[in-house]
Amino acid sequence: MAKACSMPSTWARSDPMGEAFEVAAEWYDGINAVRHSGELSWDGCGAFMLDGPTDRQSFAATDLRFGETRPGKIVYRRDSVPDFRLILPEDIPPGLAVRLPAKSEYGAWVDRLGLGKAVAIFGVVSAAAVALFMTAPDWLGPRIPASWERNIGEAMVGDFGGRICHTPEGDAALAKLLAKVDPAEEKVRAGIANMGMVNAVALPGGQVLLFDGLVQQAESPEELAGVLAHEVGHVRERHVMTALLRQFGLSILLAGADSSVTNGVFGLASMGYSRDAEREADDYARARMADSNISPLGAAGFFERMSEEYGDSADAPALAGWLASHPSSGERAEAYRDAADGDARYTPVLTPEEFAALKSMCEEDPDVETFDLF
Amino acid sequence: MHGAQDMEGTNSAFVFEGNWRDFAKIAFPNLLLTIVTLGIYRFWATARERRYLWSRTRFVDEHLEWAGTGMELFLGFLMVFVLFGIPYVFLTFIAQALVARGYEALGVGLTFVALTAIFYLLGVARFRGLRYRLSRTRWRGIRGGSDDGGFLFGLSYMWKTIAGWIPLGLLIPWSMTSLWNERWNAMSFGPFRFESNAAAGGVFVRFLLFYLAPFVLFVGGMIMAGMGMLAGYGIGGEDGMRVGGVVGILGLVLFFYLGLGLIAVAFYAKFYREVVGATRWRDLHFSFEASTLDWVKLLVVDAVLVVFTFGIGLIFLSYRHWKFFMTHLEAGGEILLDELTQSETRTAKHGEGLLDAFDMGAI
Repeated sequence: MAKACSMPSTWARSDPMGEAFEVAAEWYDGINAVRHSGELSWDGCGAFMLDGPTDRQSFAATDLRFGETRPGKIVYRRDSVPDFRLILPEDIPPGLAVRLPAKSEYGAWVDRLGLGKAVAIFGVVSAAAVALFMTAPDWLGPRIPASWERNIGEAMVGDFGGRICHTPEGDAALAKLLAKVDPAEEKVRAGIANMGMVNAVALPGGQVLLFDGLVQQAESPEELAGVLAHEVGHVRERHVMTALLRQFGLSILLAGADSSVTNGVFGLASMGYSRDAEREADDYARARMADSNISPLGAAGFFERMSEEYGDSADAPALAGWLASHPSSGERAEAYRDAADGDARYTPVLTPEEFAALKSMCEEDPDVETFDLF
Repeated sequence: MHGAQDMEGTNSAFVFEGNWRDFAKIAFPNLLLTIVTLGIYRFWATARERRYLWSRTRFVDEHLEWAGTGMELFLGFLMVFVLFGIPYVFLTFIAQALVARGYEALGVGLTFVALTAIFYLLGVARFRGLRYRLSRTRWRGIRGGSDDGGFLFGLSYMWKTIAGWIPLGLLIPWSMTSLWNERWNAMSFGPFRFESNAAAGGVFVRFLLFYLAPFVLFVGGMIMAGMGMLAGYGIGGEDGMRVGGVVGILGLVLFFYLGLGLIAVAFYAKFYREVVGATRWRDLHFSFEASTLDWVKLLVVDAVLVVFTFGIGLIFLSYRHWKFFMTHLEAGGEILLDELTQSETRTAKHGEGLLDAFDMGAI
């Protein structure tokens, strides 16, 4: 190996070891399409020489990069001449082969690790990432400060475009209803929205909206108490933030797995609560109603009517993105019915006058905006 | 190897020498790595696939080479995500917030702006996708490309597509051929530009099938349904007639959809023969010889392959389509190797992010 580097003109052929350091080669100079053929040889001290009748050049071994393999051939490139291509036969003399850059197959990381090891490591990391993304909302959601959530809710809906109905009597009735299902010092903000849909939502930032369509549907104030308590349950159990985070995490995962960014984007616009969250909110609602001596039969009747009207799989699509709707089902009606204590003497939650004030609230509010989009 | 390469007399200028077993050795590890990286490896997978497909394709006396990398595709994806994905999310968020606050018109308007932007970017993406592929293709060390960013093409794409649809879709053949010409005329390989002058007239008659066929198919289908009813009556009286009628109507629907699909294939077969045939480069002329039947075979086998392997066959589609493309692509004429010097076009450092985002093919 100890060759005289100062005599590049006498390399290869004059050396008895030369055969091991020389191989037939074809190359393109990257300047025009003319193919050159000749020999590639190693000069003994860090450089390769290409010698042919039409072209002759030498370059440092470190300049050479593996390109690709073809049947029976290997293609190399040069860092300093981007479109230079050197094509060598597959069986290169060992003396030369050790000087040439290593083949790369899958990409730098996988090549270094080996396919099996890389798959195992990537697999573990990915599984951990998925697990983190799937569970993070459950523990992170409740830890997001309420003030942040309020800001997010503020950014999303603001004052709901002045579509919240107000009359003095109606507001008083709603406040009374809310006081019975939300015992906390700082109450959630509840309102009746001037929209015809039979729906109710809990928005980020502790705001609960009953839609006027649902209020009109209700046959007793107990029904409204049940629905309101359920939504308050979502707020108190911090489900809203959890659902937001879950949707966000999912959309990020989808963006990686899916080739279309748009899919991930649209994923962000659909949000729902998990079944567990629905059950928790129902549990909360039944507990508060029991505390306040409100009959759960009203809510049971409401869910029964809903399941008759819309079918048991009434997972109605979300109104607009994050305004998620609620599925109602016969199963839930049954749970409310079972919660009723046969011996208890329930007190009416609102007087008939108060209930009527809630029902006529949107009609009698002269300032309320309508929702013209739907 | 100096001098002219004369293509006349050789069998075919483009020869594909790959086989699916070799491709499988690339595609299956790709699939595995893509799964365990939650999809992130797909950029490197694409580069590996293309390296294989290009390197097994011989043009005259030298193989093609794919010089693109997985990393640049990944960067392209990240760039699109940051430049367009995040603003889009932001815009839709604002639109929803506006609707919630009572500014419905403004919210809808904003959504419309977002959709228009996507429409525009779709055109830009088609242009840049082709440019990217040409700039990463090497033949004898020479590459292609374009100095045009495709931003004007995006506008052309918008207005020509809309103009094509307005007169009951009658101008669609014109918009398609004219967009093809516009795109290819901006591309070059080595020092020379591609030239394309495809005319809509050549594909217009095929396109009329779309209008004519529904009637023919409907009448044919009615006759079939009627015959089904009669046959049913013959077998089982009144009830048989009802069953026969249902079967007949089912046949009609199937017939209708398959018929329409067949027309689309027939149109695209003709379209590609026309536009590739009208594309030239220096002294080379190209042609694409796939008949409607060839396309039908390709698509039917595609479908069978995917369905009977429960989707795993999907990984072979890029192979099948490339092979189909190369088998039917022909070129004739002369190349002077001495004058074929390196392309002077700029090359972007990132991959076809936009095209990838919209999940489209370049050609």
